[in-house]
Amino acid sequence: MASYGSRVRQDILRWTELGLIDKAAADALRRDVEANEQKSLSFGLVLAIMAALLFGAAILLVIAANWEAFPRLLRVGVLFAIILATYVGGALLKLRGNSATAEGVWLIGAAAFGGSIALIGQMYHLSGDETDAVLTWCAGTALAAAALRSGPLTVAAVGLAACWLFLEGVALWSETRVPQSFILVAAGLWLLSYWTASRASRNLLLLSLIFYATLLAVHHDMLIIPAILALVSAALFAIAVYAPDAVERIARIDGNMPVHALIGFLTGMTIIQFDLIDGTAPLVAAALVGFAGIAAAVVLGGRESRGLRWIAYLGFSCQMAFVYVVTVGTMLGTAGLFLASGLALGLVALVIIRVERRMNDAALPQGGAA
Amino acid sequence: MKKHRLLISAILLALLQIGFLSFIIAGRAAVLRDGQEVLLKVEPVDPRDLLRGDYVRLGYDISNIPVSMIGNVPSGAQWIEAGPVFVRVKKDGDGIWKMVSASLYEPPSTPPGDDEIDIRGMVDDGRGLGRIDTLNVEYGIERFYLPEGEGLAIERDMRVRSFNIVAAIAGDGSAQIKALMDGDTMLFREPLY
Repeated sequence: MASYGSRVRQDILRWTELGLIDKAAADALRRDVEANEQKSLSFGLVLAIMAALLFGAAILLVIAANWEAFPRLLRVGVLFAIILATYVGGALLKLRGNSATAEGVWLIGAAAFGGSIALIGQMYHLSGDETDAVLTWCAGTALAAAALRSGPLTVAAVGLAACWLFLEGVALWSETRVPQSFILVAAGLWLLSYWTASRASRNLLLLSLIFYATLLAVHHDMLIIPAILALVSAALFAIAVYAPDAVERIARIDGNMPVHALIGFLTGMTIIQFDLIDGTAPLVAAALVGFAGIAAAVVLGGRESRGLRWIAYLGFSCQMAFVYVVTVGTMLGTAGLFLASGLALGLVALVIIRVERRMNDAALPQGGAA
Repeated sequence: MKKHRLLISAILLALLQIGFLSFIIAGRAAVLRDGQEVLLKVEPVDPRDLLRGDYVRLGYDISNIPVSMIGNVPSGAQWIEAGPVFVRVKKDGDGIWKMVSASLYEPPSTPPGDDEIDIRGMVDDGRGLGRIDTLNVEYGIERFYLPEGEGLAIERDMRVRSFNIVAAIAGDGSAQIKALMDGDTMLFREPLY
């Protein structure tokens, strides 16, 4: 990330020497680069957050080990003191301009809140409501994010919400309930992420919504759910490609909407194909829709986004492998299987190389024209 | 001004979270202090796998209730939805409280008599009544946290002797563990806080 700034500065220098831009424009560009650089993830913030996660893990582990050396009231008191000290101390650090450390310290506070919930469960031998505990922890963290306007705390709240969804929907296979209230939780966190200006949270929320749809589809085993997921994703993709500015103004996720839409589409198509695995004709039809969607995605949005292209390639390869194993794989002997796998893989590589070359060729004239 | 606002929100936030946690602790302690004490017989859940991390899993003789004991299952019902269940227990001659009846979804219509109390549990999974004649009920007291290293001995003893739990039952029927008994010997008694 840091290298982008220096690269642009070199470019600006070259453009000024070539006479492409005047000195005033060059200065304005440089100032803009500097201003935006500070906003992006700094190395210090990353380190502070990693340190905070380690501290947080230590707090949780101490609770989990049922640490009997101190009376429980003292343990609760220590946790309460940590909560108070981290939130207030973080605020003081933030006011002194030490944002990275402040965010890290606040994360420790959120971990201490979760640790206190676990400790209360242990004190009173409560059983059977880990999922409620995680949801409470999520709510407390979201509240902290709102009060302190903290991006990292918002991300933590989204992560806890996803964790809650996972525990409710996956961990206990017997009679699992996919919590419908996840939609409400996600909507609330989405709004919160505007207040805290956390793009990462919104990206994470979109992914967890896809996960939610997957759980619903697996749980209810109805073809309509993945179909809706694929259709909605395709529609979102179309809107994001044809009205990128409007979508970005609303969603504000660094133009990643097409990537998420493609992931949603591929997830939906994959579930559909697993559902149709018994009949060859419907399976092939679904696979063709999948291939068509990937091709359309690359043609329409591939030029702007390398991430989108890689998701498309990944989807394409998995799709190939899946169709291949289900239809052809069973008919061939081992040697034939290897031969055909080689051919199929070669085909995938060929397609990717050609697409990448075309994208680069198409990009060159643009650069030359400027 | 902006300075003060961030500090004040941080302090309020900390107090709110601490207050919330204290409120939960106070509620739990109130059950222990004021709840009606009952002695429940522990039955091993899964003798090979009692000890999970730092707690012992507990099952009770009232964890599996015969469907015939439930007063308000409609005749001819094929399916029982997940939901709360109220199990009425009565103090027996040996001091252990045993189930006398149960009521699905709502408290029984008749008030409990002398030496009787209703415990609130949950039927976690809906189930068909065709082949089963007992329901699995959870009371939220299926775990006992132990100090590190003490679990194994208790797990071993639990296989050969009968253990009991002293539970405190709140006014709404929710149960909470108060003490773990090895026969008549008290192994752990929980302080209020």
